Amino acid sequence: MTLQRVAAFFACSLLAAPVVAADDFPERPINLIAPFNAGGGTDLLLRGFAPHFAEAIGGDAFVSNMAGGSGTVAASALQGQRPDGYQLGYFSITVSTIQPQIKNVPYDVDSWTPICSVAASPTLLFTNADTPYQTAADVVEAANAEPGKLVYGSSGPGAMTHLTTVAAFAGLGILDKLKHLPFQGSGPAVKELTAGTIQFFGDTEILMTRGDFRPLMVFNSERLESYPDVPTATETGIKAPLNELYLWGGLFAPAGLEPEVTAKLEAACEQAVASEGFQDFAATSGTVINYRGAAEFEAFFRQQYESNGALIEAAGL
Amino acid sequence: MLSSLPDAFAILMTLEGLLVLVLGTALGIVLGAMPGIGSTVAVAMVLPFTLSMGQAPAIMLLLAVYAGSVYGGSIAAILINTPGTPQSAATCLDGYPMAQRGEAGLALGWATVASVIGGLVSAVVLIFAAPQLAAFALQFGPIETFTLILLGMTCIVSVSTGSLVKGLLAGMIGIFLSTVGGDPIVGEMRFTFNNWQLFAGFNLLAVVIGVFALSEVLMRASAQLSTASELVDFKGVTLPRLAMWKGRRRTLGKSVLIGNMIGVLPGTGAATAAFISYAEGRRSSPNGDKFGTGEPDGIIASEAANNAVTGGALVPTMALGIPGDAITAVMLATLTLHGITPGPKLVEDNPTLIAAIFAGFFVINLLLLPLGLVLSRVAAPILRVKEAFMMTAIVLLCAVGVYFVRGNPFDLAVMGAAGVAGFILRRQGFPMAPLVIGMVLGPTLEITLRQGLILTDGSFWAFFYGHPIALALGLISVFALIFPLLRQFMSMQRRSL
Amino acid sequence: MQKLLNEQAMVLMGLFLIGSGLYASTFAQSFSNVATAQSPVFFPRTILMLWMGLTLIALVQAMHQNEASAPVASLGRVALLLVTSVVYTNVIGHEGFFLPSVVFAAMSLHLFGIRNPIVVALYAVVVPGALVLLFNHMLSMPLPVSRFTHLF
Repeated sequence: MTLQRVAAFFACSLLAAPVVAADDFPERPINLIAPFNAGGGTDLLLRGFAPHFAEAIGGDAFVSNMAGGSGTVAASALQGQRPDGYQLGYFSITVSTIQPQIKNVPYDVDSWTPICSVAASPTLLFTNADTPYQTAADVVEAANAEPGKLVYGSSGPGAMTHLTTVAAFAGLGILDKLKHLPFQGSGPAVKELTAGTIQFFGDTEILMTRGDFRPLMVFNSERLESYPDVPTATETGIKAPLNELYLWGGLFAPAGLEPEVTAKLEAACEQAVASEGFQDFAATSGTVINYRGAAEFEAFFRQQYESNGALIEAAGL
Repeated sequence: MLSSLPDAFAILMTLEGLLVLVLGTALGIVLGAMPGIGSTVAVAMVLPFTLSMGQAPAIMLLLAVYAGSVYGGSIAAILINTPGTPQSAATCLDGYPMAQRGEAGLALGWATVASVIGGLVSAVVLIFAAPQLAAFALQFGPIETFTLILLGMTCIVSVSTGSLVKGLLAGMIGIFLSTVGGDPIVGEMRFTFNNWQLFAGFNLLAVVIGVFALSEVLMRASAQLSTASELVDFKGVTLPRLAMWKGRRRTLGKSVLIGNMIGVLPGTGAATAAFISYAEGRRSSPNGDKFGTGEPDGIIASEAANNAVTGGALVPTMALGIPGDAITAVMLATLTLHGITPGPKLVEDNPTLIAAIFAGFFVINLLLLPLGLVLSRVAAPILRVKEAFMMTAIVLLCAVGVYFVRGNPFDLAVMGAAGVAGFILRRQGFPMAPLVIGMVLGPTLEITLRQGLILTDGSFWAFFYGHPIALALGLISVFALIFPLLRQFMSMQRRSL
Repeated sequence: MQKLLNEQAMVLMGLFLIGSGLYASTFAQSFSNVATAQSPVFFPRTILMLWMGLTLIALVQAMHQNEASAPVASLGRVALLLVTSVVYTNVIGHEGFFLPSVVFAAMSLHLFGIRNPIVVALYAVVVPGALVLLFNHMLSMPLPVSRFTHLF
């Protein structure tokens, strides 16, 4: 008897599992996957976001980490999961649009149901404060005078830091006159920028303020409030699609999520982003909030996937 | 900053401050002592709690758990030969043989005292010389780091117990394993055979735990099963008497110095320090020839250095805003979350907070001694279980520990395979410590070599021209490589006479 | 011939084959044509060459010394534990942590000589169960769960 019961129980749960009852969603905790290690920027942003998201959806939500391969391991694993809305990944521009175009990963632009975007920060090109380069024109002049002398760093090939510098120097037409020195992560690269081994680095404002660095241009549609004197990339003569670059991130579910569940998750995400608690969190941690709903985010994501192809080609990846 | 020390102690000496320090350190020791659970997992476990704490307690908790787990790691390494982290791998080399001789308590005693002294000195250095040391760290560019890593690699020779050829071979296997995955300079995939799980490479901890802990379980299953009701004869830490320190103080001093210096350099880490210090101890200690057979100097060299690294790693973190290792990176991110921007002005802008962190670090290291003594007494009965219960628990804990390193079940399969491979190799007398050295240092060796070649436009000899530190380290590496061979040769000559 | 058939020589020959196989695989894949030392396979190839060379030296040494490997008390026991460990570490991702751990613990205790079924059953359920309770339900840091329920 017992054996039959157990068998019946297992059979039921197996049969019942694929049917997602959208009305009852969520019936169990939602897993927000950070594709990087615990304690990193993405992870902490998600940990700040999770309680407000849980409150908004009227259920439970927790953050788990699956690190490795510049975020591609988590995305590759999530891509193969059942789209039930209980597993969401927080992916950045690089994980979702750059890596699938340079690596043979099992996911691409059609593998996802985008839910919402949460944050987006424009990147900046900067140099150490004691270098003589005040403007982009100074850099062009110096690079042309002594090709191969100036060095720019990155946190690794294909990383956002790499694409920022490539966008800047390819846009200025001097990419082949500078040397590229990749590091393992931003930490060692920033150290070498401080020490003078590399002269240029590109990242978001929050990272730039970690050192005594001078911004040369910002890859935004307009000048930043905090740096009114720093020109936009467009102003320095860099043309589209290399002139704007945002480190954005948002929630993705595997493709084929039921529209009702997507709508519920989207609404919860909007409410969480707008919540006072998360706004406070963003203010202290320097996160630039940029909310987009599911439809708008999907259009943005597809457009980014396309346009970043040009950047990848310029970087020679 | 020194003037803020009184205020800083006022922060620490509150009930919350003390509670965080004591409980955090104790928790760290307990977690670190569990086979398979290392600092990474321990820190990940307490991280969610820090989000709702104040600035100082949050950082203090992370530090306490981290320092506690580094010390705790030596307990598992000495008692059951299963280091949970690469930095305790060097401690096994002499700690476990001592435990097998029935001196487990004393071996842990040496480890405890060495750890505490290493940690305390590094805390003092941190408080008084952080800016100077940070300036020193900036002297270490890719080329200097390359020569330092080269020096670290020569340690393979010193830790190759048994056969030198097999040790070198194990080292090569370790370096090779670290090259699997994305190329660090151009990003192309190597040896991944289109398996996306391999794009991220083999995880260091999965391999380390496999070849040490899991293979240890298999080794014991292959031997005659122990019929004793107690697995290890351990009744708690026995502190070494003062007279026993005779002739060991120099090793201790050198090891602390090595740990501090290497800790200050971002991206080199505790395992490098422990191994370089072990190799140096073996070369210069009067008991050098007994290394590997249960010689206290070996434990001192490894433990003093790996604990001194903790303080050293805080130097670039606090003075430059550049994380020294994965754990200090978590601390920086936590600071950012609390609205503090890490960077060169961190100390200037938040003198009291930073002083509190430094002072807290000093207190944590002081706490290691009493907590280590008390906890080991409490834990001793747990260790008095039958082999079967212990071995099974080790495998279960290793699975948990390895899973939480990256949250990837694939790493568990890697651990299983590494366990089997480690078992096969250990049966043939291959030492496993060189494999760990290779895997720890391999990636840095490759990236700094290639970065250096980019900077010098492809000329290897230009590494030593105009880079005095690199030249010095390069010469020391050559010397370190030749010296053991020379000594072996001389002893052979003497024997033949 | 006898010397080539002992365990040590077989392991070393296996290592040599793996090393040369990996070395050969670097030629099967095309890599971007950059300066020699910056080629993605330059560093691994150097390491693999040292690997193969050292294996050959070790093989020659092994033939001269001919030392026997440590005896195995019970081949069946090791083999069974080996297979159990490999299967266990491979199925956690699909079947969750709890159920495979119960099976593994029961097997491992039995192999290490615990014959009392009550003790085995109790340990095999309580230890993994406590870990799942701690991580999945108290710390919100879940271990992999089975296909049947998100609770374990």
